Amino acid sequence: METQLLSRPSLATQLYAIYVIARKDWKVFWRYPLNAVSHVFQPIIWVTPVYFMGQAFSTNGQALGFAQYSGTGDYMSFILLGTALSNFILTVFWGMGFALKEDMDAGVLESNWLTPVSRIHILVGRTLTSLLTTTIMSLIMLLIAGWMFGFHPTGNALLAFLTAIPMLIGLYGFGFAFAGVVLLMREANTLVDVSSFLVQGLSGANFPVRSLPYWLIPVSLMLPLTYGFDAVRGILLKTNTLLPIYVEVILLIVFMFVMLWFGAWIFNRVERKVRVLGTLGQH
Amino acid sequence: METSLTPRSLGQPGFISDVRAFYAILRREWTIFRRYPSWIIALLIWPLIFPMMYILTGRALSGIDGSGLAVFTKLTGATDFIGYIVIGTTVWMWQNIVLWDVGFALRNEQMRGTLESNWLSPTWRFSYLLGHTGPQLISMTMFILITAIEFGLIFSVKLNGSAWLALLVMLVSIPAIYGLGFAFASIVITAKEAHTFVFLVRGLVMIFCGITFPVSLLPGWMQSIANWLPQTYMIRAMRSAAFANASFTELLPDLKALLLFGAFWLTLGYLLFTWMERRARQTGAIGQY
Amino acid sequence: MSDFAIEATQLVKKFPARPGTGDKSAKTESAPAPKKKLWPFGKKEPKAMFTAVNGVDLQIQRGEIFGLLGPNGAGKSTTIRMLCTLLEPTSGTARVNGFDIVKQANDVRRSLGTLLAGERSIYWKLSGRENLEYFAALYHIPQAIAKKRVEELIERMELKDRANELVEKYSTGMRQRVAIAKALLARPPILLLDEPTLGLDPQAARRLRELIAELKQEGHTILLTTHYMEEADQLSDRIGIIDTGKVIALDTPAGLKRHIEQKEVIKLEVTGWHTEIGDKIKSIAGIENLMSRQQGEADMWEVNMQAHNSRTAIPRIVEYISGNGTRLVNMNIVKPSLEDVFINLTGKALRD
Repeated sequence: METQLLSRPSLATQLYAIYVIARKDWKVFWRYPLNAVSHVFQPIIWVTPVYFMGQAFSTNGQALGFAQYSGTGDYMSFILLGTALSNFILTVFWGMGFALKEDMDAGVLESNWLTPVSRIHILVGRTLTSLLTTTIMSLIMLLIAGWMFGFHPTGNALLAFLTAIPMLIGLYGFGFAFAGVVLLMREANTLVDVSSFLVQGLSGANFPVRSLPYWLIPVSLMLPLTYGFDAVRGILLKTNTLLPIYVEVILLIVFMFVMLWFGAWIFNRVERKVRVLGTLGQH
Repeated sequence: METSLTPRSLGQPGFISDVRAFYAILRREWTIFRRYPSWIIALLIWPLIFPMMYILTGRALSGIDGSGLAVFTKLTGATDFIGYIVIGTTVWMWQNIVLWDVGFALRNEQMRGTLESNWLSPTWRFSYLLGHTGPQLISMTMFILITAIEFGLIFSVKLNGSAWLALLVMLVSIPAIYGLGFAFASIVITAKEAHTFVFLVRGLVMIFCGITFPVSLLPGWMQSIANWLPQTYMIRAMRSAAFANASFTELLPDLKALLLFGAFWLTLGYLLFTWMERRARQTGAIGQY
Repeated sequence: MSDFAIEATQLVKKFPARPGTGDKSAKTESAPAPKKKLWPFGKKEPKAMFTAVNGVDLQIQRGEIFGLLGPNGAGKSTTIRMLCTLLEPTSGTARVNGFDIVKQANDVRRSLGTLLAGERSIYWKLSGRENLEYFAALYHIPQAIAKKRVEELIERMELKDRANELVEKYSTGMRQRVAIAKALLARPPILLLDEPTLGLDPQAARRLRELIAELKQEGHTILLTTHYMEEADQLSDRIGIIDTGKVIALDTPAGLKRHIEQKEVIKLEVTGWHTEIGDKIKSIAGIENLMSRQQGEADMWEVNMQAHNSRTAIPRIVEYISGNGTRLVNMNIVKPSLEDVFINLTGKALRD
């Protein structure tokens, strides 16, 4: 009969749907080429004054004051690694949180929510693409900035990479929750701006946590990201770490599971609220 | 009610009406600005947290025993890196906001669709740009005052010089920075990916103006570029005035440079505006986006 | 299980009132005089609620085209959004294709093809084909079938030569066609079309209406909302007239017109119209729903009214009009149209 339904859900179609969502996000990302380019160059622009500032405090290229806190005088390697990892923070806040709101404003979110696919799928698909594109952008940035300023990792890169994984997945889990909150707000720009800035700062992207004023240190220690940055640097640059590295890794793995669950839970509740309030199509 | 067939125009063009129009635009922009609650955050929080990142960096670089700081002091002559940084970041934030606000003033109207209706009225068109500067200046003054208070109180940044001279430097810089903004506004309205353009410019300024470090650290070729930016002079002069106890005579060369920049950019900004406006009348590009 | 395609029972939707939202004609229940907030102790003040849909009942047969007609703010879009599970009703139930809209939302979505917000509902940075392939996957259409289906629809919606260009380069009409194709992808038994011809040029609108008729032939059930009278009249098997959140009439187009058949519609064209004349005419027995509208030209007015017996009313009308600078230019007596039914039922014109 003509109107025989073609929709036949199965595990295969569910997985394929996630793949298709990731693929769509990938395509759309590269179709804004200037945006992709700025992902590489914006961090470099922000790092440049930091480089010169570091020079202002250094003798013969070694930041000796800094070494007292971190265990290494190689200031730029510390900073560049922090910047490369911060890219993910920025992507999660803007790419997950804000982008969902942009979809809503454009009208396209509604179309997605009309389909029989679970709403979390959309976030999962987006996460996959975002992880991939940000990794690529960060590596390119490290290459270019390393050539400009000097990047000298001395540890095991693969190990460092593996350590970063639970941190990143946990971060994206947080992104689910954040996406939900942003959906509820009329004007999210400032929130996203300020929170991403603060999180970057407090997790030690730009300076060793030990150098923070004593009253800020506890705040920083509460952020799981802090341990991620610390562990990756400890492995790759042999800096002093706050806790033994294996302890930090365990913390990261726990963080990953907690965040994934928490993020999904928050997002589902928000999504329900949006259906009750009816704010999906308007703003 | 009688309706005659030939309407008598109620508008009376002239200087007074242009001034009135200027105030109307001022009032409108201020009202719109106030209606977005996030402006409170913008005004109170950013002046604090943006410099903080660099200040904390400075702390880390100084080291536990301050040995790093000794290097810094030898280089810059400044014992207090907090004040040094705050001036750089405040100036950068200020000119950044001016560039965005004034630069996008026309573009935003274009996107809202109201540019055309504004354009159709018989007011001198440049006053649209001028009108935007009014509330801008007021909010910027508050911004700077708040920064001064926050850092004076919280960090006990001590003045070693004249606050009035620092203020003078700021005043003298206004024509240059706003002139840049006007030039921007005219270019931005024709560019498709205007945001990226602004990001690029503000990034360049950040690299070259000595925001948190002395320009003397830059390699030679970069210093030459830095000397073409009014922001460089502004930052240097303000630091000297506020923390190195510089006298008026010592500041004079930088002040003169800033005035020259001001004249240059204001003229260029106005010329670009008239060029853009004429071109738009020929190609009809005003209404499109 | 009911054999209705869509069955709604007393659907109600209330929103917390925001200043400046909502149609003024809809009911607004304001909170009782606000007490001072005893925070965190004591109850929160009850929020003012605005009722967009106030008890809607619908029973739509399989295979029929049902038109939901009403002015802006009547509750059409809200009703559709509840039926397609984007909104949760405050109270009441509905079943689409036999599935409950709240408890079996996913099954409802599988059974529906929806057209909302036309060109804004697709990705502008993807091509037409990419958009369709994307959504096909989200509707769980197996890959091999999906490919064929997408090509079929591209062909049918006349998008073939530009299917690989980005949607941002399409015209509004083309984007609308992509959005329609998207609704048809899974060959859903039920289609929800929200103002499908809004913003289209007359030719495109006509082609779309032809398509809708074809789709009915193919066995789809269609619920469409519109505020175009002629469209509802031409396409629908039955029409529901909705106003201020309630269905105030439900019948076939012919049935609705018969509703005021005893009445005739008198259409006048007048110059030098004064509202006082209107008041005088309204006082004539049997005259109802007088509406006057100034036409483009200077001082030309169109005055319409409904009359139980035009024969007795006309001499009195002419009498009131003549003199005082008012002149009758044209007069027509016509059978009621759907618009007149609407005015009769709601007291207002469809296009406010």
